[in-house]
Amino acid sequence: MNRRNFLSLGLGALAVSMAPSTLSAINFRDTKPKAWTATKVDDAIKEIFGTSKVTEGKIKLKAPDIAENGAVIPITVSTKLNAKTVAIFQDANPETAVAVFTVPENGIIDYSVRIKMAKTGTVTVVADVDGKLVSASKLVKVTIGGCGG
Amino acid sequence: MAKKTRIKAKLKKGIVTVKALASHAMLSYQEAEKAKKEVNFITYLTAKVNDKIVFEVSTSQFLSKNPYLKFQFKGAEKGEKIVITWTDLKGETQTSSAKIK
Repeated sequence: MNRRNFLSLGLGALAVSMAPSTLSAINFRDTKPKAWTATKVDDAIKEIFGTSKVTEGKIKLKAPDIAENGAVIPITVSTKLNAKTVAIFQDANPETAVAVFTVPENGIIDYSVRIKMAKTGTVTVVADVDGKLVSASKLVKVTIGGCGG
Repeated sequence: MAKKTRIKAKLKKGIVTVKALASHAMLSYQEAEKAKKEVNFITYLTAKVNDKIVFEVSTSQFLSKNPYLKFQFKGAEKGEKIVITWTDLKGETQTSSAKIK
């Protein structure tokens, strides 16, 4: 499959997923394939949310200042904002997208994950609140790389 | 076949807190090249209670090995079953379940 086919396939899947009510499951891997190969945080945000215009907002992002082991960096994201989608990015690895959460009806935004970072970088969280993008970011210093370092 | 996902779900004041530990190598492109193994990582994970999605995430290769996830949701009761399903890059899926305590 060449690149052009692959992309149009993604757009097709996107159109299909937009058609039914938004309550149904969204796999961002299928709907936004380009986002996962984006090498810049801005590009990845644009792919997922349609715009890269973000404002700093009321999102709590918990991450260590210094991570001794880049293979396991605990990240906690929480907010009281009524967000529909929450995404985590970093700029230390070749690609930037880490995870995209779809917040269901009864969901509470208080997510903890562990991520890998190859080197020191900035972790950015973006949330879609009624069409506006709200973000928070934090620099994490990595002393030993986690991605094959 | 990988081990089942370990799930702990606890109800407290109407909020269920779930801690899940999936068992997966999560090899990124770089790591796979180094280890001479195939790239593979969990790409999509959902948690359901009564067939209703309570947690949903699309993930990349940058989650740590054996990914740990913690999340909360409302609207479930004690004794109900939570079902966590993941899909990886190769298309393999795994479903694990636990009772909400």
